Amino acid sequence: MSQPDLKNEINAAAVEPLLPIEKKLIGWSLGLGIGLLIILIGINHFFPIKL
Amino acid sequence: MSDLAVKVSEPIALKARLNEDWLAVVIGLAVFGLALVSISGADLLGWAVTTSVYTDLAQALNPFAKAYAWLGGGGALVATYAALLVVLSLGVSTLGGDVRKFAIAFTAVFAIAYASWILGSYAYIAAVTPAEQQKFGLAWSLKLTNEGGFIVALLSGLVIANFFPRLADWLKEAIRPELYIKIAIVILGATVAVTAAGRLNLASSLLLRGAAAIVEAYLIYWAVIYYISRKWFGFSREWSVPLASGISICGVAAAIATGGAIRARPAVPILVSSLVVVFAVVEVLILPFLAQTFLWQEPLVAGAWIGLAIKTDGAAVAGGGITESLIMAKAAAEGIKYQPGWILATTTTVKIFIDIFIGVWAFILGYIWTNHIDKGPDKAKPAEIWQRFPKFILGFLFVFAVSLWLAVGSTPEIAKALPVAAGEANIFRVIFFILTFFSIGVMSDFRKLWQQGFGKLAAVYFVSLFGFVIWVGLLISWLFFSGFKPPLVS
Repeated sequence: MSQPDLKNEINAAAVEPLLPIEKKLIGWSLGLGIGLLIILIGINHFFPIKL
Repeated sequence: MSDLAVKVSEPIALKARLNEDWLAVVIGLAVFGLALVSISGADLLGWAVTTSVYTDLAQALNPFAKAYAWLGGGGALVATYAALLVVLSLGVSTLGGDVRKFAIAFTAVFAIAYASWILGSYAYIAAVTPAEQQKFGLAWSLKLTNEGGFIVALLSGLVIANFFPRLADWLKEAIRPELYIKIAIVILGATVAVTAAGRLNLASSLLLRGAAAIVEAYLIYWAVIYYISRKWFGFSREWSVPLASGISICGVAAAIATGGAIRARPAVPILVSSLVVVFAVVEVLILPFLAQTFLWQEPLVAGAWIGLAIKTDGAAVAGGGITESLIMAKAAAEGIKYQPGWILATTTTVKIFIDIFIGVWAFILGYIWTNHIDKGPDKAKPAEIWQRFPKFILGFLFVFAVSLWLAVGSTPEIAKALPVAAGEANIFRVIFFILTFFSIGVMSDFRKLWQQGFGKLAAVYFVSLFGFVIWVGLLISWLFFSGFKPPLVS
């Protein structure tokens, strides 16, 4: 595909609505990520960096 | 993960990446192995050129080891160039490249890149402390440290890319930032191990905190940027996946790996990668100086932040090097002398932890896409995790493990000689960094990217980077690293 085609495609592509599986992916990623970060922050608190 | 090795309009051989990874491992291990021989007393790499801060150019260059002093600075420079030319030409031939074209282009690339490095070591640019200024009889200096030469190399590349495009095109056979930075990272394993051996507790603490980088890049950054791209900017899934991966994880490799996993057309991740490199250049020119200004009292926060915010291996690790120099310079001016290596080690640890999971993430996305979105006979396979694993990391881990064992598990004589051997290998790490910076600059044709109309892609990057990635990266780095400083020079 040539560069002008891609340029036109980017600027004129029809919007694809978010599918339920995409919403799940985003939601689970964020939920799991925030949960794991909280756990890691807890570990960081109880086992601080040792010099 | 990695930086870009192609211009927007060029095709990419996806299979060649695997070979390039292994080639980086072979060359990196060869440098490491030859450097280790010096422990036995036989110095095989002492002829490598080093550059000191200078006001008299004749004093700038020297061989690394005194045993090779007879070579002189010029002789050491020629020997270093010749050795790199032979080794890299052999490597390029194994990749199927045009060796003659490479040799000619590499000669020019090495000459311009190393000249930039020498210029960066000029005392008016590099001298940092009042003592250094006094030593060279200077009333002022830019205080960029001699690693300001990286910035000079990057700017030289940018000038060529944007004002001399025909020269940039002529150089392209030797413009291989991915290969250069991967070799540098393999070699870096020795320096990181020697640094870590001095403070094993601190080093193991850094490893534990690398896990936070993985969570942040894959689960938080990716999800938010994918949402922004799809919902706010209306990009299709085919564009949004490589875009989210390129911005949140690591440049070219992540964009190509995840683009391939969802069966995107090859041109899509390549265009996204071009954008990532251009933004990485801008970040390298800005973030280390912001870190020096605002985070110099929190050096490890700064190192982690650079690793989380800059999205190509080359730019991130090299940016960590600049950040370390700038922060150490500022701290030294305040009378605080940190041990070198810890800020760069933090950046590298964060970056490598992120890299390791690219294959896993590509498999997860491939599984979701082939089973739930674009259902078809072509399903994602677990073997793809290994296929997409960045193999040069194995080289880094091997060099790190061997060096650490030599430092803490062998005889005191070997442990004592190891830092010199690692320092000798580090000469080549610095040279490959210089080549990386220059190459990234040569590939960053801002005008061409703009002309090709990718403003909308750039808008996603801009919004994500400055609205989210930088600040969340700073917050996470602060949460995990604030209050902990590198050991002081005893």
